[in-house]
Amino acid sequence: MLDVENISTYYGNACALYDVSFSVTENEIVSIIGANGAGKSTLMKSVMGTVRPREGKIVYKGKDITHVQTHKIVKSGIVYVPEGRDVFTKLSVEDNLTMGAYSKPAKAKELNALHEEMYEMFPRLKERRKQMAGTLSGGEQQMLAIARGLMSKPDLIMFDEPSLGLAPIIVDEVFDRIQAINKRMGISVVLVEQNAFMALSISSRCYVLENGKVAMQGKSSELIDDETVKSAYLGM
Amino acid sequence: MQAVILQLAVSGIAMGFVYALVAIEYTLIWNACGLLNFSHEKIITMGGYVFVGTCLFQLGLPNIPAIVLAVILLAIFGIAIAALIFIPLRNSTRLIAVVATVMLGQVINEGVILIWGSVALMPKNFLSGVSQILGATVSKSYVYIIIVSIIIIAVLQFILKKTKIGKAMTCVSQNKTAASLMGINVKVSMAITVAISFGICCIIGVLTAPIFTVKQQMSTMIALKGFCAGVIGGFGNLPAAIAGGLILGVVENFAGLILPSVFKDVVAFALMVVFMLFFPDGLVGVKNRIQKHIAKSQMEKLS
Ligand SMILES: Nc1ncnc2c1ncn2[C@@H]1O[C@H](COP(=O)(O)OP(=O)(O)O)[C@@H](O)[C@H]1O
Ligand SMILES: [Mg+2]
Repeated sequence: MLDVENISTYYGNACALYDVSFSVTENEIVSIIGANGAGKSTLMKSVMGTVRPREGKIVYKGKDITHVQTHKIVKSGIVYVPEGRDVFTKLSVEDNLTMGAYSKPAKAKELNALHEEMYEMFPRLKERRKQMAGTLSGGEQQMLAIARGLMSKPDLIMFDEPSLGLAPIIVDEVFDRIQAINKRMGISVVLVEQNAFMALSISSRCYVLENGKVAMQGKSSELIDDETVKSAYLGM
Repeated sequence: MQAVILQLAVSGIAMGFVYALVAIEYTLIWNACGLLNFSHEKIITMGGYVFVGTCLFQLGLPNIPAIVLAVILLAIFGIAIAALIFIPLRNSTRLIAVVATVMLGQVINEGVILIWGSVALMPKNFLSGVSQILGATVSKSYVYIIIVSIIIIAVLQFILKKTKIGKAMTCVSQNKTAASLMGINVKVSMAITVAISFGICCIIGVLTAPIFTVKQQMSTMIALKGFCAGVIGGFGNLPAAIAGGLILGVVENFAGLILPSVFKDVVAFALMVVFMLFFPDGLVGVKNRIQKHIAKSQMEKLS
C-alpha cells in the first residue's frame, strides 16, 4: 500500500537519506531499525511531507504523494506518531484525542464512541481524561500519542521509537498494543525502533538503516538470526 | 469624591479593556506565527479610517452595518497580509521579521494618508453623550467599550475552546508540526488567526474613534500600552494579557489622582519596566511562583 522509491533527503547540503526504498503491504508490521542518526525519523518525515525528499517518489494506494501537503496525506489515511510523542501539552487528554480525529469530520456521537474505544484500549487515559497532557508520565504520553493517532481511523500508522525512555514494563505494554492495533483493527504498521529485538520479534519484515542507506532488509525471523544484525543491533 | 472615584474606575476599566484587546490582538499573531506584529498600531488606525472615512462618510451606512463592513474588510486585508508576509516570514530570523512588520506599518500609514488624507475624522453621533451611574457622570463611549470588549473576549474564548477552527488554532500555537500531523492545514489556520486579529484591531479603532478621533496618531499610545499589558500579564498568554490590560488601565487612572496628569502615561511604562526587571514572566510567573511556594510549604508541613 505504501511504496517509497529511491528517495534522497537532505537537510541543507547534508544528505540524511540516500537512495532509500521501502514498502509496506496491507495488514503487515514492518520494522525499521538503525543506530541514532541513521535517518529513520527522516524517512518517516519524508513520507509525511514535513521534510521533502529531493529525489525519488512516494506512492500511497497507487497515488503519488511525494509533493502532497502533510494535512492531505493525513486525510488520505497515513498517521505518524512522532518521536518524542509531541502531544499538545496544554490541552487535556480528552482534547488531544479530539484533535486526533480532526481530519475525519465526525458527529458528536461517533466522536464519543471513538473516545470510549480509546479509553477501553488505554484505561489509564480515561482516569486522566481531564488532565493536561503535559502532566502525564512518559508512558502515559506515549499511550496518548498512540490513541490520538488512532482517532482518525488510519489505514497505515507509523510509530517512531515508541519505547524511547520508557520503563521495561511499559515498553511491553506499548508493544502489546501495537500488535493489537495491527491484528484486531487490521491497520498496517511501520515501527521505527532502536530496541531491535522487540521490533524484530513483532514485525514480519525489517529494514536496517545505516548512515542514510538501507544496509539490509528481509524477513524479521531471518534477520533476528543474522550474525551481523546480532552483533551490531542485538548486542550478542 | 465617590463620584470621582467611580468615574475614574469606569474610564480606567474601559481603557484597560482597550489595552487588553490590543494585547489579545498581537498575542494571537505571536502565538500563531511567532511574529511580533509591530504594524498593529497602523492597522488599528486603518480600521478607524475604513469605518469612519469609508463606511460612514463615503458609503453613508448606518453605524452597525458600517462596523460590520469595516471589520470584514480588515479581516480580508488580514488574510492577504498573512498570505503575502506573515506566513512566508514564519521561519525567518527575528530581525527580518521585525523589520518587515515595522515596514508594513509604514506602508499602511502612507496608504492611509493617500486614501483618506491626513485630516482627523470624527464620527457624528457615535457612542456620544453621557450616562449616570450611581450619581457619577460617565461618558457613554466608555460604557460601550466595556460591554463590547466583554462580548469580544467571550466570543473569542468560545471560538478557541469550542469550535473546530479554534481548537486547531490552539494546536497550531502549541506545536505546528504536531498540528499538521493531525491533518490541520497550518497555513489556513494562521491566516484565520491573522484575520481575527485584524478584525479586533478594527474594533479597537472603532471603539476609540470617539475618544481620540480618527487620525494618524490615534493608536500610538494604546498600541504601546497594549505591549505593556502583555508584559505585565505574561507574554503569549491570553487571559494574562486581559488581566494585565485591566490592571494597567485602572492603576494609571488612579495614579492621575495623586500625580500631576502629565505623568499619567509614564505610569504604564514605569510599571512595565518594573515587571521586566523583577517579574519577567509577568503575573503568570508570579502566580506560578506563589503556587510552587504553597506546594513546597505544604510538603514541608507533611514531612
Ligand atoms: N532538522 C534537522 N536539521 C539538520 N540535520 C538534521 C535534522 N534532523 C536530522 N538531521 C540529521 O539527519 C541525520 C538523520 O537524523 P534522523 O533521521 O533524526 O535519525 P534517526 O531518527 O535514525 O536517529 C542525522 O545526521 C541528523 O543529525
Ligand atoms: Mg529518530
